[in-house]
Amino acid sequence: MQFQPARPPAGIVFDSDLGNGVDAALALALLYGLEGKGEARLVSISTSISNLKSAAFADALARFYAGPPPAAGAFGGFERSLPPIGMAGGGGLAGDTAVLKAVLEKTTAAGMPAYTHGIEKLNDTADPTALIRNAMTAQYDENCMVVLAGPAINLVGVMDLPGGLELIRRKVKLLALAAGSYPDGRADPRVKSGVAAAKRLLSEWPTPIVAVGSEVGDGLPFPGSSIAKDFAWAPAHPIVDAYCAFRSMPYDAPAPAMAAVLYAVRPDGYFKLSAPGRIGVLEDGRTRFTPAPGGPHRYLVIDPAQKDRVIQAYAELASARPVPRQNPRFRNNQKKNGAPPPPEPVKQ
Amino acid sequence: MTITRKALHRRSFLRGMGALVGLPFLDAMVPAMAVGQARAARPPLRMAFAYVPNGIIMNQWNPGYEGTLGELPRILKAMEPHRGDVLMLGNLTHNSGRALLDGAGDHGRCSGSYLTGIQVKKTTVDIKAGISCDQIVARRLAGQTRFPSLEVGLEDARQAGDCDSGYSCAYTNNLAWKSETQPLPPILDPRALFERLFGNGVVLSPEARARQADYRRSILDFVGEDTRKLEATLGPTDRRKLDEYLSSIRDVEAQIERAEKTNAQIDPHMEKPYGIPADFAAHFKLMTDMITIAFQADLTRVVTFLMTREGTSRPYREIDISDGHHPCTHHQGKPDLIEKVTRINTYHATQMAGWVEKLKSIREGGRRLLDNMMLVYGAGLSDGNRHLHEDLPTLVIGNAGGAVRTGRRVVYRKETPMCNLHLAMMDRMGVHMEHFGDSTGQLSFADLT
Repeated sequence: MQFQPARPPAGIVFDSDLGNGVDAALALALLYGLEGKGEARLVSISTSISNLKSAAFADALARFYAGPPPAAGAFGGFERSLPPIGMAGGGGLAGDTAVLKAVLEKTTAAGMPAYTHGIEKLNDTADPTALIRNAMTAQYDENCMVVLAGPAINLVGVMDLPGGLELIRRKVKLLALAAGSYPDGRADPRVKSGVAAAKRLLSEWPTPIVAVGSEVGDGLPFPGSSIAKDFAWAPAHPIVDAYCAFRSMPYDAPAPAMAAVLYAVRPDGYFKLSAPGRIGVLEDGRTRFTPAPGGPHRYLVIDPAQKDRVIQAYAELASARPVPRQNPRFRNNQKKNGAPPPPEPVKQ
Repeated sequence: MTITRKALHRRSFLRGMGALVGLPFLDAMVPAMAVGQARAARPPLRMAFAYVPNGIIMNQWNPGYEGTLGELPRILKAMEPHRGDVLMLGNLTHNSGRALLDGAGDHGRCSGSYLTGIQVKKTTVDIKAGISCDQIVARRLAGQTRFPSLEVGLEDARQAGDCDSGYSCAYTNNLAWKSETQPLPPILDPRALFERLFGNGVVLSPEARARQADYRRSILDFVGEDTRKLEATLGPTDRRKLDEYLSSIRDVEAQIERAEKTNAQIDPHMEKPYGIPADFAAHFKLMTDMITIAFQADLTRVVTFLMTREGTSRPYREIDISDGHHPCTHHQGKPDLIEKVTRINTYHATQMAGWVEKLKSIREGGRRLLDNMMLVYGAGLSDGNRHLHEDLPTLVIGNAGGAVRTGRRVVYRKETPMCNLHLAMMDRMGVHMEHFGDSTGQLSFADLT
């Protein structure tokens, strides 16, 4: 009888318009918090806007949450692996935003960048379709969750790869889509900026989709009071700088992407779900939900009784201290070649 | 150029006494009326892959710049005279070489997937990979050359057993796969390769070979009469080319005889097949000389060359390294082991540079033989210590008949599939496919030119 290893926590593919607002950054911080608790594995990070600074922001966050670099030689030749960052290509470059500038242009007292990153040019980023596809191939069947908080261009690219739809059908359990308004409402910029891609995604994506609309984001905002209180452990924190740059403080930030992440990793106990149906996209970017028994789509509904718990989870998880992680591929090799010493604990 | 009423056929041979010797590309093969017509009797395009195992010390391989190739890092120093003929590619990835839930066995996977683009089945029994890109091209070219493809190697052709953590030796010891279950083992013995190329297709048994060796006659002696007849019809340029070509065959024969004699004196109990030079460089040169002749004579247009196999623990006493190659690559940051691997990598690249020099020295159709080639030199792992399958070390040598602008380093976006290169090369060889392996599209020749 062959030994079957226990399944690891779900692998999360996170694709977003990072830097356009602060919602996606908060969601990524939440995801790192969940990863630190061993509840999820962030297996792919990509930005759906064509802007090197957006990718650099993602890389800066990845490095921040990886913890301080280990001491020289601590890994016996096994340098720490940092994940490649996918970035949508094609078309013109998107403009810089206040959020991106605040994080990437911040310097220390010595004039050095406050948050290091390794993205200066296009080939420092990854082709997002190959990156996401490759990440999916390394997951157990139906043990992959996709969180989309931006235009659908990268995911449609994966669908269009040879065998892409079949791979998604096999590997992905759920797509949590932070875009739109449900059952109907105003047009969402994340849909408006890519109506054709959104239409294709919602008509062809081969797994169940749970959408998180702006009404959930507005109804369960990230508490601005947490920024000064819960993140104070870090002398400089990229999420704090992003948050403060997005709007004048104090404010509570609408957070649909955080809800999408929380639902994808902890599906029970925080939210209610709509009846099944199908989401359509209008030409002006508005979304319409039509109930239909057995339909592949649902949308998230706020459970008033759980509102405080949700917001508490947001604050606790997004502000969690980094827990150095090891690349899964790297772990495989360690087993074979002798484990290097554990990384140094994070200095506090 | 000799003007003849009737052109010599490209597939002409010298025949005699059971021997068959192909001819190089001669001016006499261009019809007189076709002079100036580019498409007439254009030298063929060839595709070859030369593979080195166990990864590379990448900070001694990658130059710290993109664009026009200038000074090359230590490992590639010997390639510097040829940098104008080299396209250095960065960030190509073989995702199918990664674990992908199959656990340990990166060496078995990376060589099995290198040209197939397939995640090979983890097994030592019922092997399964995919048809390799060289064999797809070979199938398309079948009938145009005497051999659809040649598979050549320098080490260990075991096809059974476990060579890496549950992966069959068939994965580590072959690059070419004719079908998803049929690898094509490389020829290791220079004598066997020689006889395959020039001995009318018959690979002789050791006994028959011994009988033939008694005569100690050159194969060229058997085709002497045909040679004289042909020479009488050729102009001075072609006569010189033919003479150089036949001399190179004679040189190879002499090298083989020397190797056989030397081996007998060094160690009569060694396990190596009869006739294989003990010295790596001598073995390399002998085999690549024959590959070169095979290209020159258009005996084949597709070659895979497995320099040594993945996971090999071959020592390199030729350069005073008695530790095995593979153990050294798991250096865990130790400078002395890194230095040894760097020297092995450099040694391999130096042999390659010698081969490139040879390919540049041969003229055909007004160009160098290398100009009508795409010779990929690379590995299925980048960092052998960590078993990384991204940013695979990859050189494309030769400009594919002018299709590829060499002399540059081009770095693609991360995770760009290696299969995109395979797809582009197959396209240049006349095989037009929508996708191959995990390709996401052809590496655009617009990028490469």
